[in-house]
Amino acid sequence: MAMQVALEKLFAIMPFLFGIGFIAPLVAQSMAVWGWEAPSGMSPIMLGLLIGGSWGLYATIRGRWI
Amino acid sequence: MTDNPSTPDTISQEVFARQVADGPALPLAADDTLDRHTRVDLLKQERAIAAKYQGGPMWGYVVAALGGFAMWLALFPLTMFGVVHPLITLVVSTFLTVAGYVTCHEAMHDNIAKRGSRYRWANQLVGEVSLLPIAVPFSMGRVTHLEHHKHCNHPEKDPDYTDEAPNWWMAWYKTWWNRQPRVDGTINRYKTVCMALDTRESRIALKQTMVVQLIYLATLFTMAWNGHAIAAAVCWWLPRQLGLSYIRYFLSWAPHHPREGQTERYVQANIFKSHVGHFLSMCMETHLIHHLHPGIPNHKTRAAYMEMKPILEKRGVDCSAL
Repeated sequence: MAMQVALEKLFAIMPFLFGIGFIAPLVAQSMAVWGWEAPSGMSPIMLGLLIGGSWGLYATIRGRWI
Repeated sequence: MTDNPSTPDTISQEVFARQVADGPALPLAADDTLDRHTRVDLLKQERAIAAKYQGGPMWGYVVAALGGFAMWLALFPLTMFGVVHPLITLVVSTFLTVAGYVTCHEAMHDNIAKRGSRYRWANQLVGEVSLLPIAVPFSMGRVTHLEHHKHCNHPEKDPDYTDEAPNWWMAWYKTWWNRQPRVDGTINRYKTVCMALDTRESRIALKQTMVVQLIYLATLFTMAWNGHAIAAAVCWWLPRQLGLSYIRYFLSWAPHHPREGQTERYVQANIFKSHVGHFLSMCMETHLIHHLHPGIPNHKTRAAYMEMKPILEKRGVDCSAL
């Protein structure tokens, strides 16, 4: 039962985890492939975490990605 | 691999028995003067044709499922190490993802090998490997698909009813919309249906769904943080998104639209002409045949339809498209 509750909580925040776990590195690696630079001297992964984290958080709260 | 081809499937048997007993339950849209004798005679003719197409060699599906799964797995290292271009991987993996549903669909109906057959393991194996590209376990696919057949086009009981949309472009949009984290569609609806069923099979399906989803996400995260995010995206993430939309559109929306009120036997699915052809629409143009006789393998539904067409027309089915 405790396991089930823990997993339910994990899946409830999964969009946020997906944002930092997948979208962030995808953004950073895509920038590297296409030769794009992050603004304001930010590293690509920092920008990726900013985009992925905030987008994932939005999806977690709203229940929709857009 | 070939069970007795003349043995009608269980669903057809149940439907036949019910219809003979309760004549008025049959939809008689074309000619409501059909008497009981005519109805029974038409049903016998329909079943005789169906029996000719049921069964037969199914090794092609086994080879396609296992070969497709092996190819899909191979794309991961081949893309990670730059042997295959990511765009080629995206196209091939999306095709394999969609094709996997077709082979799994046969396994859901026990068409690869019936229960008790010496080849039963092949049915299970095909089902298990075929749905992994969409990150759904066979158990979940089977439970919910059989519920779809049992309660076809019922707003609450048909797990696929949420795919309904007023037109084709809204249908495509809805395939994406239904996958949003807290929208009651696709996998979220499937989970709700399984919880409501609360059978041994549905409980197993729920547990296995959680496991498969965790493996899917753990794989994406691990690959991504080890420098292979693009490979993960084109091998699994994007093909799953594109493949699911394609599957939902051609397997659920196109053959069942419009769903509202279409719960009777001969109106549960349509005969339609697909713009992408019979093969690329996964043989869904003749999906009505599948609903009437799920024991007929997917690749034979068109031939069965052509032979059954005069009978279906007498039943009031609109056969003008094909």
